[in-house]
Amino acid sequence: MKLVRMNMNMNMKTWTGIISLILAFLIPLIFGINQYLLTVLIIMLVFIIYSSAWNLLALSGQASLGHAAFFGIGGYVSAIVANTLGMPPIAAIPVGGLFAAFIGVLIGLTCIRMREWFLAMVTFGFAIIAHTITTELSWLTGGWDGIPAKRLIPVTITNYIMYEYYVILLIAVAVVVIIYLITKSRVGLALQAIRENELEAKVMGINVIKYKLMAFAVSAFFTGIAGALEIHHFGYITPEVYGMDISFWPILYSISGGLFTVSGPILGTIVITFIWEVLRAFGLMYERFILIGVILVLIVIFLPKGLVSVPEKIKSRLQL
Amino acid sequence: MEPGVLIQILVWGLYAGCIYILLAIGLNLIFGVMKVVNFAHGELLMLGAYATFWIYTLSGVNPYLIIALAMIILGIIGVFIERLCFRPIKGTGKLNEIFLSLGLIYLFQNLAALLWTTDSRSIHSPYSNVSVSVGSVRLPLDYIIIILFTIVFLIAFQLFMKRTTIGRAMRATSQNRDAAALMGINVERMDMLSFALGSALAAAAGSLWLISGQIVDPYMGSIPAIKAFAVVIIGGLGSIPGAIVAGLTLGIAENVVPLFMQSFAGLLGVSMSFTAWKDTIAFFILIIVLVIRPTGIFGEKGE
Repeated sequence: MKLVRMNMNMNMKTWTGIISLILAFLIPLIFGINQYLLTVLIIMLVFIIYSSAWNLLALSGQASLGHAAFFGIGGYVSAIVANTLGMPPIAAIPVGGLFAAFIGVLIGLTCIRMREWFLAMVTFGFAIIAHTITTELSWLTGGWDGIPAKRLIPVTITNYIMYEYYVILLIAVAVVVIIYLITKSRVGLALQAIRENELEAKVMGINVIKYKLMAFAVSAFFTGIAGALEIHHFGYITPEVYGMDISFWPILYSISGGLFTVSGPILGTIVITFIWEVLRAFGLMYERFILIGVILVLIVIFLPKGLVSVPEKIKSRLQL
Repeated sequence: MEPGVLIQILVWGLYAGCIYILLAIGLNLIFGVMKVVNFAHGELLMLGAYATFWIYTLSGVNPYLIIALAMIILGIIGVFIERLCFRPIKGTGKLNEIFLSLGLIYLFQNLAALLWTTDSRSIHSPYSNVSVSVGSVRLPLDYIIIILFTIVFLIAFQLFMKRTTIGRAMRATSQNRDAAALMGINVERMDMLSFALGSALAAAAGSLWLISGQIVDPYMGSIPAIKAFAVVIIGGLGSIPGAIVAGLTLGIAENVVPLFMQSFAGLLGVSMSFTAWKDTIAFFILIIVLVIRPTGIFGEKGE
């Protein structure tokens, strides 16, 4: 009996995933080439990648408050490489990701012995350092004004936004699948073990340093890719990309959806983006942010496992 | 470099150091008693600055006198934060505390933006044009007042912690919470008090920041907060003397290092201004210290 139940649960989740995936592919066909809708969805997909990447690092107990550093570095490197070497964005984006991964390993190295708070502060500081370095290297990065970046799909092509949407959707699916596989693998188990108790993990023979750095590298890589995707979508990049709010979004999304789960960041990004856009329709600028802050506080206090835990909570309530 | 310029830089550094010290002591207090790192401390500084700004704009009273009022207001806000936000998540893990603080940061920053817009604000202290001559150098009176205020405060704080019952109760709670509870100390009340006091100190720091002519906007809190964290970590989490030493060092280093770098670069024939790097000095020192000694210089073990 129990085995059958477990299988059914797994099917429920996979079915939800498959259905939403099909829906995602069908959206341009259902709603037509709606510029606003597709733009919102593109940004949402970028942030799904970004949040999932951040979540992976948090899985190892390393909660970074400065992930915007990797986001921005990925974006800048990709833009610069595409511009100076004449590469198409598709080829430049992985380069941005790789450079971000490299920086990620460096930052990870400095943080290797640090506890959660210190790591949070130091990563926060790194985002600011990245910002300062970028603005100071103005000959390369355009300083405060930023530089233009090649569009992912040239604007001259009709319905370019639809192609952009599909490309980014495919990349997002690929990234999520990879992260899923990592999380479910022994690597993922090792990361969680490290998060729960580093000392015990070491005693069990887990190479803590290797896995912590691996988490940083992979997380930074995908974050860099997300950053590159975003700025090649916008066509421009400025140092604002290193902003504190850019660092905070993946944290917000992951927590609301469900920290440490694979579907959590996805669900959180979708739900909050939806709320965000609805609030924008009402014209509330700062109130939106305040509401988001309140939501975050409420979730940490009352729903620490995020939205993904809601079905289980309802189920247990109903069974009682 | 003439001695006059050196004195000027020293006073600049002392003044900045005093602000960091006030912030750092608040952080240390909150951490010592509640074992929680309040990431939103910068926002408390910001709110304190805005409180003073608002009251001053409405009333025109000497801003130095308003500080007391701002401290009380923020103290009350601190009590609310502790009871409504931090207490419910006590024991649920350090990551939760970090995330909660993030939510608070969002909340306060945008609340301020809503109430006072994102335009930068500043006020003129009634003494902003007054300077004191020391030798060949003219030092702004405001800076001197701030330094004196901090010294007076530190003495008062020491007396409070060492001589009064409440102060000793707080110290007891920070040293051994269970034992303190067994001795009849209301540890929950100590939590509340430490947060209130920490918030009041942040308010004082923010108000002094404002009065000395600095610019205030809703997002101004994060950089001083990070420096305060650097001070706390370098000086050692929970160590007041460490915070004082580290705070002064940072304040002075911030002003001295860019100048040294500039002269150094000048010697190499490169003309560069390093002032943009001023804010990052705190991080670099912080990172170096943390890599060498993950518990800080004067730190207690067990962070």
